[in-house]
This record gives sequence, structure tokens and C-alpha cells, in this order.
Amino acid sequence: MMEADKRTSSAADPREVGTQLRPGLWHAINERYPGSMIRKESFVPQARLRKPLGASRLTLISSCGVQLKTDQPLDVCHPFGDFRFQRVPSGGKHDDLIIHQLKYPRDDADLDINVIFPIERLQELSEEGRLGGLTPNFFSFIGYNMDPEKFERTVAEGIANAVVEEERAECALLAPA
Amino acid sequence: MPTVSVTVAREVTEAIKVPRALFLPWPMGHHFGVPFRRDLQRRVVLAALGLLESSEQPGTILDLPIKWADVRREAKTLPEQGRKL
Amino acid sequence: MSVPYLREAAAQDDLGKLVRFVRLHLGDGNEAVGKEEIDRSWAEAIKTLLRDAPVDREFIARVLETNESTLALLFFHLHFCFIRGSGRWIHDGSR
Repeated sequence: MMEADKRTSSAADPREVGTQLRPGLWHAINERYPGSMIRKESFVPQARLRKPLGASRLTLISSCGVQLKTDQPLDVCHPFGDFRFQRVPSGGKHDDLIIHQLKYPRDDADLDINVIFPIERLQELSEEGRLGGLTPNFFSFIGYNMDPEKFERTVAEGIANAVVEEERAECALLAPA
Repeated sequence: MPTVSVTVAREVTEAIKVPRALFLPWPMGHHFGVPFRRDLQRRVVLAALGLLESSEQPGTILDLPIKWADVRREAKTLPEQGRKL
Repeated sequence: MSVPYLREAAAQDDLGKLVRFVRLHLGDGNEAVGKEEIDRSWAEAIKTLLRDAPVDREFIARVLETNESTLALLFFHLHFCFIRGSGRWIHDGSR
């Protein structure tokens, strides 16, 4: 290959230039699974922190399907998704946890859960005082689902209620997979 | 409640119109980096959490322009850190 | 295909749409791969039976008495069970 061709190929590679690695993803998925992707008409309003971050209690919510090894697995086989969510103790470590999820590459997360669910990094930041604390539990669910309306009614509402009423979170980090 | 998302699919996040998000040009399953790169994972978490304090407009998406090729190159030079790679 | 879309397809008995969805789910988003995966899981089931190990027909009879929804979901679980046994796992979101 000519040097100019190599440079062109390298320049076009999103891993080298820092652009989205899979452009057109929303349309690709919605084409394959019509009606499965969400598009909102208006922005979700921004809520503000009431206290500095260093005094605020944070929760982590993830669609990566992580859970305690001792819990009954989320159902990765169901063709429409599993509309339950798991509580993950915020003091958990990589060796306590397992991922039950298909449809995303998890080899690296299997080595180090913090690649997709930064539980230990958040523990450290809390201990350092960069956060006011962590909620007793974090939350996880399977991101794959074919019924957005049912998902909002079950998983989203369930987590939102738990986060506010039980966990008393003051802010949240949302991490997809 | 103030929330911040981390995304590797900017257009999906734009379609959902979240309050605030951090975008990384990385593959799915790697929103916080690579195994055992504690410093990089912290950097992503702190950048996202920083948006909770700094962003002012709904729909804010902050780019963290760390190239995936650079992340993988650095990952290859790491010692095993006591775990089998 | 969202569930509402599939409900419409089921009401119209649109086998093409329903089967396409099954292949997408079993093929990590790729219909052609899904078709191969279906063949593969059946091939694994046959290979398993060729080992001629004892079978528990009473267990099967008890399971078949459960409700249809459970059996339908079990069908999907069995597919993935045999795929795992094949040693080839394609479900990584890359398709």
C-alpha cells in the first residue's frame, strides 16, 4: 500500500481520529428492530445539585447487566428483554460480581468490572472525599429490550422510585453498556 | 435529581435528549476504559461527575477526546498487576 | 422490532417478520448469522443424543405440563444452552 494510502486509511479510522466508532447506530438498530429505539421531542430538564459534589450522595445506574454472583441471574435469553433490575451493593468488589448480558463486548469487563461499572473507582472517590458518599446499593439491568413503553413503566420507574425513596440519592451517574 | 450519562453513541444520546452527558469515542462495553487502568477510569468518572456541577444547558454533551487507538496502545504496555491478562 | 410491532405481525400471522426477529435475536443482530445459529443448536442437540446417555423422560413430562409461556421461554434458553455447548459464542454486540 502506498504511504499516502496508508495515511488516508489511518486518518479515516475512527479509533485513530477520535470519532464515534459506530456511526449511524441509532438508525441501524431501529432499522433492524423497528420501534425499539427511543427518540424524545424535548430535553429532560436539568436538575441542579443542592450541595457541592463533595457533600452529595451518588448512585450508579447501569444497563450492563452486572449483579452479585450469589443472585439469581437476569434473563439474557428472553427475546424481548428482562424487565427486572438488580441491586448491587455499592461496597462490592470485582470478584463479587458477574455480568449477565449479551449484545456488547464484555471480555474486558470480565477482567475488570470497572471498565463498564466503575464501582471501585467510585468507592475510592468517596473515601477521598470527592463525593459525599455512595448509596447503599447501585442498580443494574439488561439494556436490551424490545418494549420501550414497558421498560419505562417497570425498570425505569422502579429504579427511580428506589433511588429516591429508599437509597436517598442526591445525584446519579448513568452508565450504559 | 441531577444525573449525568456516559455515552459512546453520541447520536443515540442526542435522540434521547438527556440533561447532560460525557461522550467518548470508544467501543461499546468500554465506557470507562480498559482493564486495570485505574487512572483512566478515574479520569472518565471525574469528567462525568464534573458535569454535574458545571453544565448549565439541558442536552449538554461534553467530548472527552481520548482516541481509542491511544488507549489500546498504552494498555499493551501495562504490567500484569497481579492479574492474568 | 419492538413488541408492539411483533404483536401486529403475530395478529396478521406474518411468519416472515416473526422469524426474522427470532433470527436477529439469536444472531446477535444479524439475520444470516441467526439462521446459522438455529441450525447449530439443533446440530448440537443431535450430537448430544448421539452420545446415547440416559434421558429423564419423567422430568420432560413434568416440564411439558407447565404453562405455555414458560415453555416458550424455555425453548430460547435451550437454544442458548446448546450453543454454549458448541464452543462458538457470537454474542458480543459486534454485528
